[in-house]
Amino acid sequence: MLIAQRNLTQEKTRLALSVGGVALAIMLVLILDGLLVGMFRQITAYLDHSKASIIVAQGGVQNLLGATSLLPPGTDDRVAGITGVNDVVPILSRFVILDLHGKKQPVYLIGYSVEIGGGPWEIAEGREPRTDREMVFDRVLAERHGLGIGDLVAVMDKDFRIVGLSAGTASWMTSFIFLRKPAVEELLRAPGATSYLLVSVRDGQPPEAVRDRIGRLDDLEVMLKSEMAANDSRLFGRFFSAPVRLMTGIAFLVGALVVGLVIYTATVERQREYGVLKALGARNRLLYQVVLAQALLAAILGTVLGMGLARAAGTLIMAARPQFLVVLQADMTGRAVVIGLGMALVAALLPARVVARLAPAEVFRR
Amino acid sequence: MTRLALRNLFQSRARLAISVGGVALALMLILALDAVVGWIEARVTAYIDTSGADVWVSQEGVRNMHMASSSFSSSLASGVARVDGVESVTPILYLTNVVEAGPERAVAYIIGLPDRALAGTPSVIRSGGANPGRGGAVIDQGIAEASGIGLGDTVQILGEEFDVVGLSAGTASLTNSIAFISSTDFAGLLANPRVASFLLVRLEPGASAEEVARRIESQVRGVTAQTREEFAAQERKVVRDMSTDLMAIMNLVGFLIGLAVMSLTVYTATLGRRAEYGMLKALGAHNRDLYLTVGVQALVSVALGLAVGLMFTLGLAAIMPLFSANLGLQIRAAALGKAGVAALTFAGASALLPIRQIRGLDPALVFRRR
Repeated sequence: MLIAQRNLTQEKTRLALSVGGVALAIMLVLILDGLLVGMFRQITAYLDHSKASIIVAQGGVQNLLGATSLLPPGTDDRVAGITGVNDVVPILSRFVILDLHGKKQPVYLIGYSVEIGGGPWEIAEGREPRTDREMVFDRVLAERHGLGIGDLVAVMDKDFRIVGLSAGTASWMTSFIFLRKPAVEELLRAPGATSYLLVSVRDGQPPEAVRDRIGRLDDLEVMLKSEMAANDSRLFGRFFSAPVRLMTGIAFLVGALVVGLVIYTATVERQREYGVLKALGARNRLLYQVVLAQALLAAILGTVLGMGLARAAGTLIMAARPQFLVVLQADMTGRAVVIGLGMALVAALLPARVVARLAPAEVFRR
Repeated sequence: MTRLALRNLFQSRARLAISVGGVALALMLILALDAVVGWIEARVTAYIDTSGADVWVSQEGVRNMHMASSSFSSSLASGVARVDGVESVTPILYLTNVVEAGPERAVAYIIGLPDRALAGTPSVIRSGGANPGRGGAVIDQGIAEASGIGLGDTVQILGEEFDVVGLSAGTASLTNSIAFISSTDFAGLLANPRVASFLLVRLEPGASAEEVARRIESQVRGVTAQTREEFAAQERKVVRDMSTDLMAIMNLVGFLIGLAVMSLTVYTATLGRRAEYGMLKALGAHNRDLYLTVGVQALVSVALGLAVGLMFTLGLAAIMPLFSANLGLQIRAAALGKAGVAALTFAGASALLPIRQIRGLDPALVFRRR
């Protein structure tokens, strides 16, 4: 261990590079994971903040964000009459594209009733809409485009005045905006239309039992809120998990490459010393341990530094681009350590080969 | 000095493989992601490109289809049909919904087509017909194969059952497929059946699409009219604007990885050859010559890394269709330029790092024993 430590720390720049390489790789893995977790949180934010425990959608529609739902007329009354239902909140929602300063910005438009609910859960500034020409706009999106209370924003063929700015309704892909339901009905040329019902149950009623009772009505998809949130996460996870996993894999390879290269160079440079050890009777196993200990030391230091860097980078990213949410969870630490150790093991392979092939007589040449 | 640089570089194959591999991985990240976005951009307009419409008419303020919603009174179709230069108008309905085929559920753009539609029908039919008719549906062949269904089987769309009467090709992407049902069936499921989502306009021979589009906007209130090319460009812009932030992060990641790997390999290579560089200095070589040696090594490494990265990406593009019909790669010239600039930056930055080492190198070092 002492040999490993001295080998590694003798050349300070090289040590810094290897630790820095691992730290960079660990930081990347953690930031990517954090972005993915943050994205899932943003995707399900509306459902998570809803007081409802059951969501009613058109038959066959199991997502809030993935598909358009159109409920048969009168569904809200039929659902309200079912035993165990406390209240029913109808919303009319649709993705729309806004043209903001020459950029296409997808937003999820929610038409709701200010009196019944279904709107923004946190108004950071201003108030909820009182007329069908007013809207609550996402605060982060507003800041990005220099918009504020009183400004007009064109949604399809109508202009709406921003009267409130909501918090927690942004994501890098899409943000939520809120209008009164009749305003959305007019925009979509769909008078009286409803997309989803947000259903809350009476105290003491198990949501599963109420869900099953509503599910006996025809042409409806009835789910617990958590089930629909999981469906949305799964749908978007399918699009984004693959590239994130690819990048995590590349980050792992790079970390292993960096540590491997440093330890390899250090090993090649110290071939004579290793030869001396062999000539003095040291077995390959001992030399492997020296090489592995160097890789482990670099990996452990890099992992610790990487975790600190990830926290700093996450804060920096969210300050510079508030639409991104980076969530670093406690369980990610364990994963980072496993990845760091994995890098050390992979990194030790090449230098170990050099040591194994070394002839003890090498030391007596030159 | 160039020869020396090349011999230095190729002497340690492991180090060369690591530096070339690291740079290749980094550049591949930049190239592959851009190629995926390029492919999606091309595929997202496939329906528009092959619709047969010269002009697309939508609700005022709506300029694309993807993640958009468009609704206006279907009676406007007759007003558009009266505009000079218009040969035919096909109103279609459009929503994002789910196609349930057996146990499979897939997000799909649902297009409602009128009987004997003159535009907007699927352009490639693998089996069956292109016109869904009442109670029928034309779905993507890939979706049908994945669900194990064929012509005559039943699918659920918009909560209703439809018989599969046609299987189309080129109608699926990474995110969704396209399914076609009759406008009459579609309208029956809407809160307001007297609406259209888009009007697909075909022009009389010799008519200019730009002029007809402007005439439609000035003569028919409440609509936006665009040529097919303008509409497709807006569609591509949605994909591009949505992916800009993600691309920026990925590019930064690729850039940092390339920079870290190259800096480290060039630095350790220089460190490992201190004695040789000291010898050259002792023999009268100037620092300038040694910088050149390091620079050439860095340049050759990144050039090889770029070539390998491009080969990896081309290989990925070639094998991707074998794994997924709904995802591909389209390598664009601009991305190659970006990767080239990144590669040059890697080389330049990594060659700068060992300069201090070389400058401070003592020629007498060579005469000392380690």
